[in-house]
Amino acid sequence: MAPIAERRIGMTTFVVNIPLERVGVLIGEKGTVKNEIEKRLGVTLSIDSRDGSVIIDLAKPVSEGGDPASLFKARDVVTAIGRGFSPERAFKLFDDGVFLSVIDISDYVGRSHNSLTRVKARLIGTGGKTRRIISENCHVDISIYGDTVAIIGEHRDVQAAEEAVLALVRGAPHGAVYRMVDEYARMRKAGGPPIPR
Amino acid sequence: MTEQVEKPQKQFKWGVVHIYSSYNNIIVHVTDLTGAETIARASGGMFVDAGRLEPTPYAGMRAAAYVMEAAKAAGINAVHILVRAPGGVKSRTPGPATQAAIRTIARSGVTIGRIEDVTPIPHDSVRKKGGRRGRRV
Repeated sequence: MAPIAERRIGMTTFVVNIPLERVGVLIGEKGTVKNEIEKRLGVTLSIDSRDGSVIIDLAKPVSEGGDPASLFKARDVVTAIGRGFSPERAFKLFDDGVFLSVIDISDYVGRSHNSLTRVKARLIGTGGKTRRIISENCHVDISIYGDTVAIIGEHRDVQAAEEAVLALVRGAPHGAVYRMVDEYARMRKAGGPPIPR
Repeated sequence: MTEQVEKPQKQFKWGVVHIYSSYNNIIVHVTDLTGAETIARASGGMFVDAGRLEPTPYAGMRAAAYVMEAAKAAGINAVHILVRAPGGVKSRTPGPATQAAIRTIARSGVTIGRIEDVTPIPHDSVRKKGGRRGRRV
């Protein structure tokens, strides 16, 4: 970390660590994914393929028209790819108003391998049924990877999906959660913005 | 990209913009470099009426525009930006108003120095609120 900080005094950077097996996805075939992120957001990504650290900084300083908000977007895109999303899905984060949320299941169920596997199985469901129902009703994309659940979508949708995921993690029956997201979907369709809480 | 510290062509008067952005509100707070002296402060609720609109990008934009106006009146012409989410055992991602606020600050005509994420991240922490059976609605 120290040499990075020294090298870039006066410049704003973010550092994201991603799993080594996702580095290849972040770069893409002949660098296509990396290039697209850099082009669409006006950032540069320095990827260290030995330890999986990614340094994000603006391609041109703010004084020359760089958009500082895109730094945060780039960080979300890189994190999303690191948390198991395909680049196509992660690129939804380029749009304004689309957010990423990462939930660490081990915060809730402890580190025991058996219970982590059990909870992940509950979240995915037989043949991906549960995951599909949550993501369809809440209009979000869900990636369950390692010990984390990552959700991409609009702010309110992400919150609803988060609540559903946490209910399942804490042991709510699937039926109750399906009812919950179904109700959210109906409220969403009716247009009445449910109070985000 | 090994750029040196930017050479000051004019005399900068630095300030720090603290953006605290949660799922329920946004607070934009301008201080001097020490952080001890407040120059201007605004929250989402000052610009919208409904509680559920407080964390919206619109509220973030208005709050940022308001504080930057006040900061410029106080002679600030360069700022660092510190972005913060609730952190700790709560959400570690800034709320939806953040990006609008940052963009407004960038367009307000002041020089921008560093942008940092200062969300408090625990090395180890206490139990999340809500209890074993979670939040029951």
